[in-house]
Amino acid sequence: MADAVKQITLTIDGKAVTVPDGTTVLQACEKANSPVPFYCYHPGLSIAGNCRICLVEIQGSPKLQIACYTPAANGMVVNTTSDKTLLGRKDVLEFLLINHPLDCPVCDQAGECWLQDYYMQHGLYDPKFNEEKIKKPKAVPLGPTVMLDAERCILCSRCVRFTDEISKTGEFGIFNRGDHAEVGLHPGKTLDNNYSGNVVDICPVGALTDRDFRFKCRVWYLGSANSVCPGCARGCNIQIHYNREREWRGHIAKGDRVMRLKPRYNPDVNQWWMCDVGRYGYKFIDQNRLVEPATVRDGQLRPSPWDDALAVVAAALKRLQEAKQPDQAGAILSSHMTNEDLYAAKRFFSALGVKQVAFVRPKPGTSDDLLLQADRSPNTKGAQALGLAEGAERLIDAAAKKQLKVLFIFTQDLAALFGEAKVAELAKQLELLVFVGANANPTAAAAHVVLPSTVYAEKDGTFTNFQGRVQRIQPAFDPLGESRPEWQILSDLAAQSGVAVRFTDAFSTFMDLAQHEASFKGLVYQTIGEQGAMLQNGAGKV
Amino acid sequence: MSTSNLDALRPQADAILARYEKKQAAMLPLLRLVQERLGYITPQAEEWVGAVLDVAPSNVHEVVTFYSLYNQKPVGKYHVQVCRNIACALRGAEGCIASISERLGIRPGETTKDGTYTLSTVECLCACETGPVMQVNDTYVGPINARVIDTLVSQPDRLTPIPLVYQGVVGLQEPVLSARFNTKDAESIETYVRDDGYAAARKAVTGMTPEQVIEEVSKSGLRGLGGAGFPTGKKWSFIPKTTDKPKFLVVNADEGEPGTIKDRYLIAKDPHRMIEGIIIAAFATGCRKAYIYIRGEYADPTRILQKAVDDAYKYGFLGKSIFNTQHALEVVVHRGAGAYICGEETALLASLEGGKGFPRLKPPFPAVSGLFASPTVVNNVETLACVPSIIARGADWFAKLGYGKSGGTRLFSLSGHVRKPGVYEASHGVTLRQLLDAAGGVPDGHRLKAVIPGGISAKILRADEIDVRMEFDALLAAGTMAGSAGIVAMDDSTCMLEALWYAAKFFAHESCGQCSPCREGTGWIFKIISRIRNGQGRPQDLDNLLGIGGGMEGRTICVFADAAAWPVQSYIKKFRDEFEFHVREKRCNLGVQPAAALHG
Repeated sequence: MADAVKQITLTIDGKAVTVPDGTTVLQACEKANSPVPFYCYHPGLSIAGNCRICLVEIQGSPKLQIACYTPAANGMVVNTTSDKTLLGRKDVLEFLLINHPLDCPVCDQAGECWLQDYYMQHGLYDPKFNEEKIKKPKAVPLGPTVMLDAERCILCSRCVRFTDEISKTGEFGIFNRGDHAEVGLHPGKTLDNNYSGNVVDICPVGALTDRDFRFKCRVWYLGSANSVCPGCARGCNIQIHYNREREWRGHIAKGDRVMRLKPRYNPDVNQWWMCDVGRYGYKFIDQNRLVEPATVRDGQLRPSPWDDALAVVAAALKRLQEAKQPDQAGAILSSHMTNEDLYAAKRFFSALGVKQVAFVRPKPGTSDDLLLQADRSPNTKGAQALGLAEGAERLIDAAAKKQLKVLFIFTQDLAALFGEAKVAELAKQLELLVFVGANANPTAAAAHVVLPSTVYAEKDGTFTNFQGRVQRIQPAFDPLGESRPEWQILSDLAAQSGVAVRFTDAFSTFMDLAQHEASFKGLVYQTIGEQGAMLQNGAGKV
Repeated sequence: MSTSNLDALRPQADAILARYEKKQAAMLPLLRLVQERLGYITPQAEEWVGAVLDVAPSNVHEVVTFYSLYNQKPVGKYHVQVCRNIACALRGAEGCIASISERLGIRPGETTKDGTYTLSTVECLCACETGPVMQVNDTYVGPINARVIDTLVSQPDRLTPIPLVYQGVVGLQEPVLSARFNTKDAESIETYVRDDGYAAARKAVTGMTPEQVIEEVSKSGLRGLGGAGFPTGKKWSFIPKTTDKPKFLVVNADEGEPGTIKDRYLIAKDPHRMIEGIIIAAFATGCRKAYIYIRGEYADPTRILQKAVDDAYKYGFLGKSIFNTQHALEVVVHRGAGAYICGEETALLASLEGGKGFPRLKPPFPAVSGLFASPTVVNNVETLACVPSIIARGADWFAKLGYGKSGGTRLFSLSGHVRKPGVYEASHGVTLRQLLDAAGGVPDGHRLKAVIPGGISAKILRADEIDVRMEFDALLAAGTMAGSAGIVAMDDSTCMLEALWYAAKFFAHESCGQCSPCREGTGWIFKIISRIRNGQGRPQDLDNLLGIGGGMEGRTICVFADAAAWPVQSYIKKFRDEFEFHVREKRCNLGVQPAAALHG
């Protein structure tokens, strides 16, 4: 067992707090519930110490000290609310604001701007500056994702340190000297690495803003739900920010629900970051959705009530049952599906006696050495841990040899994997092709029955990332149109098909899963919490 | 400008890189090499430099835009850079600028149509004793007068460089630091060796232990003469005796404090004295490599210094085996690129490592983690120049020459309204009055009004406060500081608001911009004072100025902000009536017209 880190005790605002040796005063103040304001400090970046707003009074030091850099020491006495400290803080804030443009009415950062927030908490002074402010470039697109307003910048250098230390792409610099200092890129360059969106997250003010989010929605209209990005097998923890006021302000962003995604801190998965592929890959939640079931009537797919559509499927299954040919049915699941949905499918098809069940993952994409995985789906590990076979080739062959009559395809557009021609052929060869998914695609267009499912942002559930970490997703809003979660679709189908399998909600489905699947043993939503929990028995080990 | 032009520079670039332990440290000299080739630095050139150094082009661009000496656009054949700081202003710089501007037909910041002249105004060149002074390409020219301007306009190649104006000693039996300032060819190694040069270094390296050397220097009372006055022996004792990291001695030759000229004299006139001091200091602290960071504008002194270093190698005083012992000492001369803040020791190290001159958070201090994160001693030129005498003649002798806790003598720079500006050597115990008298006092028909005692950062003294001794602790007790001993006298023709305007302009121009109170505060102060100067003062301006100064002090990464606040606080405090007159009456009580607002 390693030696325990030495613990030290110090006094902050009269409160004794014990922290590991090496902790900074700022971190100790957070622990002591006496938080200190900061701009340039970021726990994931090196310490710059240039904003000076974290100045605190430390007994024995004649000058105020910056809390972000000063190591906490045994017996130290810190005062974060003394007159001297508050005056220092207010003066620093005043300096930061003297050349800051009065852009609040047109600045996207309003409502989550640290200058606004700290002014309300620590400022509230009569401003003394009454000269001409310094002019710098405004509304400069740095690349496809980020917009720069150099006047708003407080030169905290977070963006510079991010592109130096995290993305290691070195785009940002701070040029010139004195109050003509200006953040920017090397002349002629653009900011287009796969982590560009993070600099918007870390910019405390409206200097770096998201072009995708520009002027879209005021942040005080946003609701937030914790979730996990489904863009790849990393499973970055995220927040889904949606328009909470949509009912009364449907004009915002054409009535879309999702306004943006933000990364959520998880030390074991994505730290503070997410990649651009995931960040900007949310459009499918509101666009191009299948919102109502459909069946083929008069040679065409037409909208259909749920009961009717399910009845068509149930009838086909019944025919197979009576002909004692359950092996003539198959299901191609997807690594896009949650553990709960996959488990519900596994149980349903097993109860039906359908043995030909496999899952596919999407075509691999590029990967990098930071977050992005080549596997562009969130739950391959979950599908594997549930014992599902991978690969649709055998099923497609079986259909070609007329050995398959009924095929279910979940979520994945097979046309992307096998080509549209193959999918059209499949539809001709099968008696019944059922597509269960959220977005329209060529496979759905070729299907005989379309059952609309919910996207991850509309459901409870879990994904298992490539490391074997099971992480919860939570719904941000209700299902769009008539869409339903897969476990519910399968439960309803079971009812109509006389199969003795029922699912009532994601939570109990997961409890059932954890009881019956060895790798998931012992896991429960409460212990998975907001940061996830590992599969058992090293089942996740790569 | 294609970079294949630059690829031809690769052998020279490689030679430069070989001098440094880390590639990136070659940034400043490499950029200078590029600028010498292309005349200015293009974004493509920045990419080329970045590729050579393994550094992102944005970082190279940061460096190019930070330092004043790098051109981002072409300049004329003659780049005329006229000093517009306090000492030169007191001697008529504004008139010179106006005259040159008129004669050339361009305003500061512009280039003549035929591309011959570019005119700029710059901050202190540290040649205040020959003010008003200008730098034309690599040459310092001054005092500027009508004849000089004629020559500039008609035969610029025949401009004469500034003279050295050594004025002798005040109250000393014999000169110490300036003993050889009048010697013919004093800068050559032959005369230095003839005058018993390098004997002290030989004594230290071959006959003493490092501890003995440190002990002797500590007893001598030598204190840092760059301005901070930190006891030198104590500083050397902070260097760890045993460490697996290399140790570095860095010489701070980035003289920049307005009013200060003395290090240039030591380098130009008696460079071997400093080199001998470097050898002894390096031996005492166990350093095998020394860098001399010399301000970029000091082109002529650099030439002299490099020759002196080369000669010292030839004589075996530097190199792999100095004085035929197992001790080695390599010395590299490294030129700055125009930034006053690089005189701050941690900013100097950041600059030496190839970055912007951003002071560093302390601790750790350089003795623990300095250049390339190794233990580093940073000493001023003059401080090191004192060391050979201490070793040769003893700590007691040196201590007795001084006053209080400050041993020895120092070189005082006198400029502004004195009849005989120049360098004077005296004991720390000399009074300001004695120095001003030795400099001939103020010109005929005028009376002394105010004096800057220790560089522009030092709080000002009134004419009735000049009986103070020019020693670190005495001046501190008098509410100001000894600093760099840059003394600028102002007579009763001086408008104190004008004087403060020059100080405020200087600090606003030189703030590195890293931390918020200084970056914003220096600019704000300059704007308010400019407004008052233009007859648009407001009643709350003076109290606001004092408040801004107070808001900056003690809140920043380095003491530049404090230094910027002190003139504001002391000029307003000691001459409040004048400032109030300007604000209230919207004109100068002395009838001084502010010079036209010029760009550049």
